[in-house]
This record gives sequence, structure tokens and C-alpha cells, in this order.
Amino acid sequence: MRKKIALFIFLGWVLLLIGDRVDELRVYQGAQIAMYAIALSSIVLLTGYSGQVSLGNGAMMAVGGYSAALSLNNLGSPVWFAFVMAVVVSALFGALLGTAAARLSGPYLAGTTLALAVGLPEIANQFAFLGGVPGILFDVGFPPARFGEEFTQYKWFFWIASFIALFALFITSNILQSRYGRTWRAIRSNSLAAELSGVHSGRMKILAFTISSALAGLAGAVMAMTISLVAPGAYTLSLSFALVTGAVLAGVSSLPGVVFGALILVAIPEVADVLANRLGGDENLNNYLPGLIVSVLLILSVIFTPNGPGEKLRRRHHKKM
Amino acid sequence: MQKLLETFLIGLSTGSIYALMSLALVLVWRSTRVVNFAQAGQAMLSTYIGFEIASRTEIFWLGLACAIAAGALLGAGVDYFFMRVLFKHAVSGPAAVVAPVIATLGLLGLIRSIVGLIWGGEFKSIKAPASTDGFTIGERTIPFSPLNLLIIVTVFLILIILAVIFQRTNLGLSLRASAYAPEIAQLAGIRTARTRTIGWAIAGGVGGVAGMLVTSSNFLSPYSLDLLLVFGFIAAVIGGLESMVGSVLGALILGIGLTIILNYIGTSLVFIGGFVVLIVVLLVKPDGIMARGRARRA
Amino acid sequence: MIRKTRGKGTWLAATVLAAGSLFATALPAHAETGVSSSEIKLGITLPLTGAASPGYNKIGNAMNAYFKYVNDNGGVYGRKITLIQKNDEYSPQLSIAKTNELILKDKVFALVGPLGTANYTATHKSVGLAKRGIPSLFLNTGFSGFASKKSYPSSFMILPSYAMEAKIIAQFLKENHAGKKLGIVYQNDEFGIDGMGAFKAAGTKFDVTVAYTSGSQSAATAQTWVSQLAAGGAQVVVFFGVTSATAPLLAVSAAAKYAPQWILGSVGADPLTLRALGVPLAVLNGAQTPAGNPSPNDTSDEYVKQFQEINTKYNTGTAFDDYVLQGMNIGLMTVQGLRAAGANPTRKGLISAMENKGSTFASVAYSPLGYSKTSNVGHTGYYMAVMDASGDRKPFGGKVTLYTTDSGSGPVVVSTFKRPAMPAKGLPSNS
Repeated sequence: MRKKIALFIFLGWVLLLIGDRVDELRVYQGAQIAMYAIALSSIVLLTGYSGQVSLGNGAMMAVGGYSAALSLNNLGSPVWFAFVMAVVVSALFGALLGTAAARLSGPYLAGTTLALAVGLPEIANQFAFLGGVPGILFDVGFPPARFGEEFTQYKWFFWIASFIALFALFITSNILQSRYGRTWRAIRSNSLAAELSGVHSGRMKILAFTISSALAGLAGAVMAMTISLVAPGAYTLSLSFALVTGAVLAGVSSLPGVVFGALILVAIPEVADVLANRLGGDENLNNYLPGLIVSVLLILSVIFTPNGPGEKLRRRHHKKM
Repeated sequence: MQKLLETFLIGLSTGSIYALMSLALVLVWRSTRVVNFAQAGQAMLSTYIGFEIASRTEIFWLGLACAIAAGALLGAGVDYFFMRVLFKHAVSGPAAVVAPVIATLGLLGLIRSIVGLIWGGEFKSIKAPASTDGFTIGERTIPFSPLNLLIIVTVFLILIILAVIFQRTNLGLSLRASAYAPEIAQLAGIRTARTRTIGWAIAGGVGGVAGMLVTSSNFLSPYSLDLLLVFGFIAAVIGGLESMVGSVLGALILGIGLTIILNYIGTSLVFIGGFVVLIVVLLVKPDGIMARGRARRA
Repeated sequence: MIRKTRGKGTWLAATVLAAGSLFATALPAHAETGVSSSEIKLGITLPLTGAASPGYNKIGNAMNAYFKYVNDNGGVYGRKITLIQKNDEYSPQLSIAKTNELILKDKVFALVGPLGTANYTATHKSVGLAKRGIPSLFLNTGFSGFASKKSYPSSFMILPSYAMEAKIIAQFLKENHAGKKLGIVYQNDEFGIDGMGAFKAAGTKFDVTVAYTSGSQSAATAQTWVSQLAAGGAQVVVFFGVTSATAPLLAVSAAAKYAPQWILGSVGADPLTLRALGVPLAVLNGAQTPAGNPSPNDTSDEYVKQFQEINTKYNTGTAFDDYVLQGMNIGLMTVQGLRAAGANPTRKGLISAMENKGSTFASVAYSPLGYSKTSNVGHTGYYMAVMDASGDRKPFGGKVTLYTTDSGSGPVVVSTFKRPAMPAKGLPSNS
């Protein structure tokens, strides 16, 4: 435990150093990576550990984002409280969703969460106080003056996002390594056997949904901070798909993998952009090449390393033994 | 009263297109136990091919026929080249639960990107095979047009053809046997793998029809069939993925329900309405409305 | 435990590799942001694909065509102009992401023609354009709020504001459609609400009001709009939305045999795009619309003729319509702005040049430009036009009667302003 705390503090210090060395674009991307890492951890918990396939984590991010924005703008709360609200409200929604979905499995659960992912952001269009299509502005304010003129807004985002990410990952890691994590994995492998051993699988599933949604909501609030906006268009079905994609690419049951997955999610559009420019910069190419690369990567990784790149090496290690 | 009738008719028309998509999804699910998200991509590609033929020859039905053929070929191709590889490699560990979903999602993205690279993102339109002007009854013109009627009739015909195939032919018997009890079917001499591919081909062809029909009153773009996929999937789940009749019923219920929401409440709540319909059905019957008890789980 | 370390090792390696790829794609910095000895980089965000893209996605290429023409003729003080287009699918948070790319990655000198009201509002705030001092020239939106120098110190409009447009339409309704039942369909965001506010202030009473959510336009939803309009008996219908919403509205009305007098707001009224989206010519015939430019088919106009030539040579394959005309005009204005900023342009210099000299620039539109130290307003007026049976646009009443006004409570007046002559061969030589 102490080692873990030390590790996380060390990571935080490294991030601080990196933040000082790189230019503004990378710092901004760093904030995005932190955000995705939190979001991906929600998938790892829900799907990787408790075995429930949800296509709706994007919707939970929306819940978090909007809660934070409303708390900041309408309740006039301080920024940190807005993030707390994001966690609390999404957890509540998650509990609700979990209760409705606990009896569902496989495709039925996928279908329900799919419908949620498509339908939830739309609610923003119906109620004026949710800002409609243009959305609500989410302004966490300028960095404190004592950091000086050179300390850009995006660096401030990076600091806040990294801190939150480290904190969230630390907590999640502890939860996953506790008996809760073990119970979830038991339910995932064989829920009948788990029940026979005295596990109340329904309740555990709901708990998984709750915590997963809380994490997703937090990620949603962090996203809102980085773009200073919550709008339905930020939480589309594609986001939910991207999250599941990132989780699979990194290893759906591996928490350390979420950083790698987040990096991939941020790096791919970049790489695709550069490639498209090298290949001639045709309009079409620019629009569809990133999607092509992501899809191919996804298919390859799902076929050949469905449990993440770490698994292949672990297997080889086993063989050696 | 008038409005209710109009709503019902339009709902029937939209629902019947969803029925095609949900049928295709159920067909694949029953034979392979995979939800094929790429169905939308296959349908989209088939529709683009149909569009090319239809716009060059100005004959919608020729385009439709080509879309069906393309869809069937594509479906068979996806099963043969893609699914078999997938199942050979990715069936263990924590990702087994999510791998097929992701794989078909990846395939959807792949097809979409290829279509975008070839045809571009510009909206295209297919000239409808029937007029879109509403029928005039007495003085009023109702929003139900000959095109809507044509859609209902076409889907109905396809359902009848499929029913005949499945209930009356040897092929249909093999298909049902392979899906329900593959080992026993093999023992009885049925080549289950090939039969499964045929099932995918039929599903692909049906998806092609859905795409052409829905595009005749809307625009074609690499994203235009996504909605169809979502609603088709919801409809299939409502009907209980096990039953083809159920998926059609589910689709009609969904179509009518959504049109009621659209006409009486407001456009912004259509999607969340879909979610509500789904949740309500699943709370009462977690395996869909046609499920016989808890016989099969994923 | 051995296994854990192995696993961690793999992650570390993979993470470093991925991070490395990110760094590898970083571009070299420039001496002065966006300006080098041979090049000036400009950026634009606009919907190249997606629900709102029909028509608007031509603007970027049209601008590019004009820039290429200028580059082939010496550029701006010897520097070539490079325009980087980014697709934001009309979605505000994509605009933010793409603008970040333009500014942080591509390091453009200035933004030109960013499209969309909600898009620009979000981008301006989120990216902090004002704080960074990044000039945004010739916004492709008419939201009145952008005219405020205080809130938008580095941005400049070009289109008349939606408030101006609404006031002119309101005047037109009073003069030509008094006593009829009025209906309006508008996009339910700042764009449409801007117009609605001005209608209200001008005292226009609509008997049927239909608001639609941006992105929800389709044949199915248009059905509900038409039912409401027909049920309310609207004889004259004003439309304040995007082209991809005009199309289903008109098509569905035709199918339902509902044929009011249409008054189409300038944003969504290009006949060529509407026809490409399936609206029959017969429906467009007689539709009235406020217009700021001459018809794109009017080759007797010197600007149109020159732009058409440039389009044929540098933008082959694209039909010349309102959007191409608008794009090229923005290009023309941009080059004048860059020239006015001097031989060694800076961002601050460009902004002052626009404030001090912008109002004298040559533009295809008929109304005067309002740039000054205290206002970001571009063009200030419209004339009313009618579409004919061949899809062309002719001035209402036979000749162009130009109305000008402001975004506030000023009156709508007939103007006798004569626009500046086009620089020779469409190549500015101002300084």
C-alpha cells in the first residue's frame, strides 16, 4: 500500500516536470489523456471486471459533465464542488441504470445501454436550462496569478486533470484489488458458481454500475473543463464506442492499461492527420483516414490480442514456465 | 382521430423498415450468437452500390436488385472471411464477452471509412420509386404517401418470402436446425458452417433492401444508416432476439411508438422515447416479448 | 511478483512508444506565428461533412481557389497564402478541437471565415482567442453579438447581422404583405433567436411560430412543422435556418400541397444547393429572399464575372453558386486585409488595419462596411430578391433597392451607397 502511494506521488511529480517542458499543444493533449484514462477505467471496472458490456458510458460522461456545469453556473459552487457533484449525480444515475439492467445480460444489456447512449444527450435539447445544442459554458477560471504570466490556461487544465486522474486511478486500483474486485471477477467467470458461494450477484452488479458511472461522470466533468463547454455533441454514440475501443486495445481488464489506451485514443487522430497530409491532403482522405486506421487497428487487436498486448507476453511467460 | 390514424400509418411504414433491419440482426444472432453491428455498414455499402446502378439506369428496382445481391455477397463474405477468423482467435479471457461486439463495431467503422474514401461525404439522393406526395382524401392531404404504402407492401412481401423459405424449404430447415442445435444438426449431416454463411447472406440481402427503402425518402451518406441500426437493434431486443416474428413485432411497436412521440410530444424526445420503450419492455420481460421463459441466455 | 513486473514492463514500453509517436508528429516552430518569409498560414473551421454541410462545404475551397489565383500573381508582398481547412461538422466542440489544432499545431497566423454561430461562440471562449490576440476575420455567421468590440476585440464580421436581416424582412413584410397571416420557422439556437428578437422589436406578429433544434431537421420532423403551419393558416412563411432544413421544409410542403409565400432567410436560401437536395424548381419559383450580393449567374457584374473565371480555372468541377461567390469574396477581403497590415504583418497590425482601413475595402456586396475602432460590423444591408422559374435570383421590383440598418433600434432606410470598383483583375493593390 505504501509502495503504491509512493508510486502515484512519483508519477505526479513526473507529470509536473513534463508539463513544464513540453509546448502547449502537448500539455492540452496531456489533459485529454488524463480524461480518457479516467473514462477507460470505468470500462475496465464494468466490463473487464464485472463482465457487463455497456455501450453507454458516454451517456454517463454527459451526466457528469452537465452536473458539473449546472453546479458551477446555477448553484454558483466552487470548482472542486462541481467535480464532486459530477461524481455524486452520475453515481446515482448509475445505480438507477444498474437496478434496471441487473437482470439483463449480453446483447440485451448492450442494446439498452446503446439506446441510452443515443437518447440521453438528446434530453439537453428539450430543456432550456440544459443549454440545447450549443450547450452550456463551463469555465473553471484562469490559473492563479501567482503562477505568473507564462502559466497558460491549458497547463492549468493539465494540472487539474492529472491530479484528478491520479486520484481516481489510485482509488479504483484499490477497489479492484479488494474483495470487491475479486467478487466481480467471480461473477464474470461464472455467475452461477458465484451465487452458490454466497455472492449476491445482483447487488454487486449494481455496485459495479454505480462506481463505473461515477468514474465516467468524473471523466465527463474533466472533459467539460478542457473544452470549456458541455454540449450534447460532445457525448455522442461515437464517444461510447471510442471508450470501448480504447479499453479493448489496452486490455479490457487491465487498469494500468488505461493510460496506454488513453494515449492511443489521443494519438491516433494525430498520426492519421500527419499520414493524410503526407498522402496528398485530399479532402476525403482527411475526413475518413483516421476512422480507417482506428477500425483496422481495432479489428487487428480484437482478433489477435483481445485481452490487450500484455496478455500475449504473459502467455509466453507461462509457456516458458 | 384523423391524426391518430395518420400517426399509426406512418409508424407502420417506419416500423416496417426497422423490421427489416431487426430481422437481419436476429438472423445473424440466431445462427452465430453475435450481434452484427456491421449490419449497418453492409446495408450502407449495398445501398451505395444500388444507388450507383439506380442513378445510372434511372430504374429504382434494378438498383434494389443490385443492392440485394451486393448485400448477400457482402454478408457471406463477412461471415466467411471475418467471423471465422475471429472465432478461431478470440474466445477466451475477460474480453470474450466484448470481443465480437467490438469486432463488428470495428468492421462498421472500416466499411464506413472505405465508403467515405470512395464516394465522399456529400449527401446523395435516390429518386423514389413512388410519389412522396401524400394521398388526398376528399379535401385533406394526409402525410401518408404512395411511397409509404410501397414500403409496407415490399416489407410484407419479403417477410412472406422469408417465412416460406424458413418453414417450407429444406434450406430453411437446415438454417433453423443449425441455429438451434448445431451439433445435432451436424450429426444429421447438415453442413452448419455453410448454412450459417447462407444465413448471413440472407441477412445481408435483407439489410440491403432496408437501406434502399430508407434512403428513398432521405439522404445517403456514410452515416445515414446509423439510426436504422440503433432502432433495428432496439426492435430486435424488444422482440427478444430469439424470434423472427418477435423482431418484426418489436419493430412495428417501436415504429408506431416513436411516431406517436414525434407527433404528440416533440421531436427532441424521440430517442429517449426509444430508450423508455425498451426499458419498459425489458423490465417486464428481460428476454424480450416473445421469449419463452428463461430458455436461452447469452 | 515476477508476473506483475513483466506486465508493468510491457505497459511502460508500450506507453513510451505511444508517447514517442505523439512527439514525433510535432511540427517545427515558425519565426513569427504563421508568417514566414515565403508563406502566410490561415485557418478555417467549417462543416465539410454532416447534416449542415450542404452548400457551406464549398466555401473553403472557393477561398482556396482565390488564394491560389493571388499566389500565382505574386502573392501578398511575395508571400504565398496557405489556407488550412478543418472539418467541424457544425458541432461546437469539434470546432473547439479543430481550432486548437489550427492554433497550437498548425500555428496559423489568423482565422478566416469560421462558420457557425454556436461554433464560434464556443471556440472563442474555450480557446481564448481574444486573450491570445488571434485575429478572426470575416466570420461566416451573422450573430449580432459578435459585433461587440468589448466582447470580441479581435473578431470581424462580414455578413450583415441576423438582427439587421430580420429588421429588413420585417419592413418588407409591412410594405408588401400587410394583413396576411404570418408564420415563421427558425433554428432554436442563438442564430435563430437573434432574428426572432429583432422581429419582436420591430413589432412583427407571427400567427404560427415553429422552432426546430439544430440537427433535428429531416423529412419526418419537417412534417410536423408543415402540419403546424398549415393548421395555423399561415399565408406568408419566413424561414430562418440552414439550407439542409430549408430543403425538407419546402419538399414536404410541396408534397402536402401547402404553398404559402416563402421568405427564405439568406443563410438557407441558395437555389443550387436546394435543388441538389431535391427541392423541385417549381417550389422555389416565387420565393422571396434578402440578398446582399448580385446573383451568382449575373455575368454583367464585374465581380461575378472575375470570380467565375477564377472558379473555372482554380476550382474546376464546382458549380458557381452563392457559396462559391461568398468564399471568393472573403478571399478578396482577406487579401486586402493582409496587404493593409503591411509588408511585415503582425497579428496586432492586422487587427488595427481592419479597424482603420477595413471599411474602404472592395467587396461584391452592395452595402457599406462598418469596420471601425468601436465596431466589428461588416456589411450592413440587404435588398429583397425573388427566385424565378429557372432558379435564378432577380431583384424584387426589377431593380436593386438597397436597405441598410443597424443591429439595434435604428431605422431601416433606403441607401444610395455605391460599392467600390473591383481592383483590376480581382487583384488588390491596396496598402
